[in-house]
Amino acid sequence: MTVANYFLPGSLPEALGLLESNGPELLVMAGGTIAMPLINDGISLPRQVMGLRRADLDRIEWADGELRIGATATLTSLVAQDSVPMLREAARRSASWSIRNMGTVGGNLFAPPPGGDVATALLALDARITLASPRGTRELPLSEFWTGFMTTSLAADELVTSIVVPGGPGETTFIKFGRKNANTPAIVTVAVHLVRHAGHVARARIALGAAGPHPMRAARAEAAIVGTELDEAAIAGATEAAATDCESFEDAVASEWYRRRMVGLFVKRALSDLARPATGRGE
Amino acid sequence: MASTIVAFRLCGRDVEVMVGPLTTLQSVLRNQLGSTSVKDGCRQGGCGSCTVLVDGEPMMSCLLPVQDVAGREVTTVEGLTPTEGLHPIQRAFLEANGFQCGYCTPGMEMLAKALLDHNPSPSRDEIVEALSGNVCRCTGYHPIIGAIEAAAVAGREAGR
Repeated sequence: MTVANYFLPGSLPEALGLLESNGPELLVMAGGTIAMPLINDGISLPRQVMGLRRADLDRIEWADGELRIGATATLTSLVAQDSVPMLREAARRSASWSIRNMGTVGGNLFAPPPGGDVATALLALDARITLASPRGTRELPLSEFWTGFMTTSLAADELVTSIVVPGGPGETTFIKFGRKNANTPAIVTVAVHLVRHAGHVARARIALGAAGPHPMRAARAEAAIVGTELDEAAIAGATEAAATDCESFEDAVASEWYRRRMVGLFVKRALSDLARPATGRGE
Repeated sequence: MASTIVAFRLCGRDVEVMVGPLTTLQSVLRNQLGSTSVKDGCRQGGCGSCTVLVDGEPMMSCLLPVQDVAGREVTTVEGLTPTEGLHPIQRAFLEANGFQCGYCTPGMEMLAKALLDHNPSPSRDEIVEALSGNVCRCTGYHPIIGAIEAAAVAGREAGR
């Protein structure tokens, strides 16, 4: 172990101070489920590490019609909340119980693909993230957070402190497809949020996980269904657009070709689920 | 490299260890406190053989800096075992042939303990889901699932 210091701040100001004084060399983690495997294997050799488990950033509260999730709230605590069914489902389908007891919602935003199931659901829900630094706080749409593979628009002196999920009308569906039913890396994750007026799709957000360098919206697929009654032709158009536009890749569980096929198939299934008459569907 | 003293509770007793920065709970349990039931399997959080309970919740001790559990209660299978005989979960594993080589067993039993504490009557599907992070390469899992089903029945009959 080459780590010189492990900091465990007890508050956000203390954490921000440590980040400022140690600079970008400081490795920040919360649940440790992404960073610790790399450190244990010697792939990552940080000199300075900061853990956020005691930084008092783990509250989940419903306020002003929005769900505010502390960055270090565990995935298990997201399973326990019942105000946003799609988030419960996305968290429930993530990793295993012991890992959900450790892994955090904020950390999930930094999970490289095929991780990031909760992040994908948050993207479909049009979440915003709150970033804090010694300079103050700012809010950013989650859609503007990722800039590439394992790169984000987070400044060197900033920490993600919370994730805000707007309330309001809408229907959602979430599908994670992997090789197993539980504790499985995604081949593709599809999260959809729709608002319909008089049977027509007024607004659509289709988010894809494990289909590119980070969770991303399928903009052309969304455009293909807006204004339609979510009929077969519209769904076929969205399916084709999502499969064509996704940035499929090969990993241990799926080839580039197969993953792209599955992106299309599961976008089709998600939209077809929503096209059926609503019977006890979430939200 | 500054060392730190960390105090926590292990299986009902107070312990104090001196550790280097970012030392894992797994390493401390095995190398400093003699809890060798906690296995050093993958160190990736992928096999579950290092599963312990922290304040009753299962966690992978290989991913957990020991400083993070300061002041908290850690339970390993050594703490599950009564002074005399076996815990009902251990007895159920024995009677149902819930292990062969035994490497995964301590992690499996701690997971089972947490599951039955949360849900005394889990369905087979709920047991399977709960065990999804704990790997066994011998049994094919069915005897383990059967053992947990039997332990649930035994626990309910004993009124726990």
